[in-house]
Amino acid sequence: MENKNNPLSPHLQIYSWNVSSLLSITHRIVGVINTVAIIFICLWLVLISLGESNYEFIQIFLQSFFGKFFIVFLSWSFSFHILNEIRHLAWDMGYGFDLKISQTTGIITIFGSLIFAVLIYLFGRNII
Amino acid sequence: MVQFSLPQNSKILKGKYYKDKSGSNNLKKVNVYRWDPSTKENPRIDTFEVNMNECGPKVLDILFKIKNEIDPSLTFRRSCAHGVCGSCAMNVDGVNTLSCTKSHSDIKGDLNIYPLPHLKVVKDLVGDLTTLYKQYESVEPWLKTNVGQKTTEEIKQSQEDRAKLDGYYECILCACCSTACPSYWWNGDKYLGPAVLLQAYRWINDSRDEDKKERLKKVADELKLYRCHTIMNCTNSCPKGLNPAKAIGSIKKMLATS
Repeated sequence: MENKNNPLSPHLQIYSWNVSSLLSITHRIVGVINTVAIIFICLWLVLISLGESNYEFIQIFLQSFFGKFFIVFLSWSFSFHILNEIRHLAWDMGYGFDLKISQTTGIITIFGSLIFAVLIYLFGRNII
Repeated sequence: MVQFSLPQNSKILKGKYYKDKSGSNNLKKVNVYRWDPSTKENPRIDTFEVNMNECGPKVLDILFKIKNEIDPSLTFRRSCAHGVCGSCAMNVDGVNTLSCTKSHSDIKGDLNIYPLPHLKVVKDLVGDLTTLYKQYESVEPWLKTNVGQKTTEEIKQSQEDRAKLDGYYECILCACCSTACPSYWWNGDKYLGPAVLLQAYRWINDSRDEDKKERLKKVADELKLYRCHTIMNCTNSCPKGLNPAKAIGSIKKMLATS
């Protein structure tokens, strides 16, 4: 049927979110951020190997408020990506498709990633 | 390139407001997507005040009430009215479902009704599903076997093999799942979508079918199959409680292990 000029029905604008769709898009965004972060970490290592003055420069950045936020955020984003990837691996093996199970594992991923982020931070600061 | 916003001719305007005339104290505001192909206007949202004291329990009852008592030009597809035909699939309160099995008392506040998402609108709540039907045809949804030509006897299936089709044969092709899938929104011309893939799996999984290998080969495609990123909107929306995400996962697993 010819309907070139017919309007497109609304999609993203109206569709309601649920745990799995929210985690799916977050997984993607976090994946991109992590890739960039890994490049940054590599650059950091290269800089350190180039000498002491570089190390100080990074040290100052990481001790600023923004630097600390950056580190805490990355501990969360990596924890999240790893936990959600475990869900994906389970799906690839054929497990966890049931609505209730996928919802539960999704919620575990959200809270688990937050707990992991806090643990990594505390561990890094030698508190535990 | 994926376009996340609606094209200019699809931007939704504010429409008419139909005030209640019955004087009832139990009113529900129902916002319905309208588009009339005979005018050149953009789609709009009309708001109807519906007297809930004299209305059946389903969302479809509300639509009928509006059509019968308020605005006869309201257009929507429906047939069986008890969740078997799949005609009245639409987006109710942000989730695709069959309006004939969806109870409106589950929804608090105003009721928003849109056509199935990311389709060309034919009129009001009717979307154009031509692409989806073509894709359905492409998976050849019929039994392929050579046995039938040799004998006139029925092709038997054990109870265990028959049970493997449970959760898949019930699909009524209402398209709720496919039009709930963001991957299908962005790549609907190439990606087959959950409804069609579930049907593909139903035939791959049929013990009587002798074309399993060919079927798997046909569907094993970067775009046709692997655009599924397990967003699970399909399973979340299926009004029959089926699990298209699992069916797609099973096809992927079969391909990975064969």
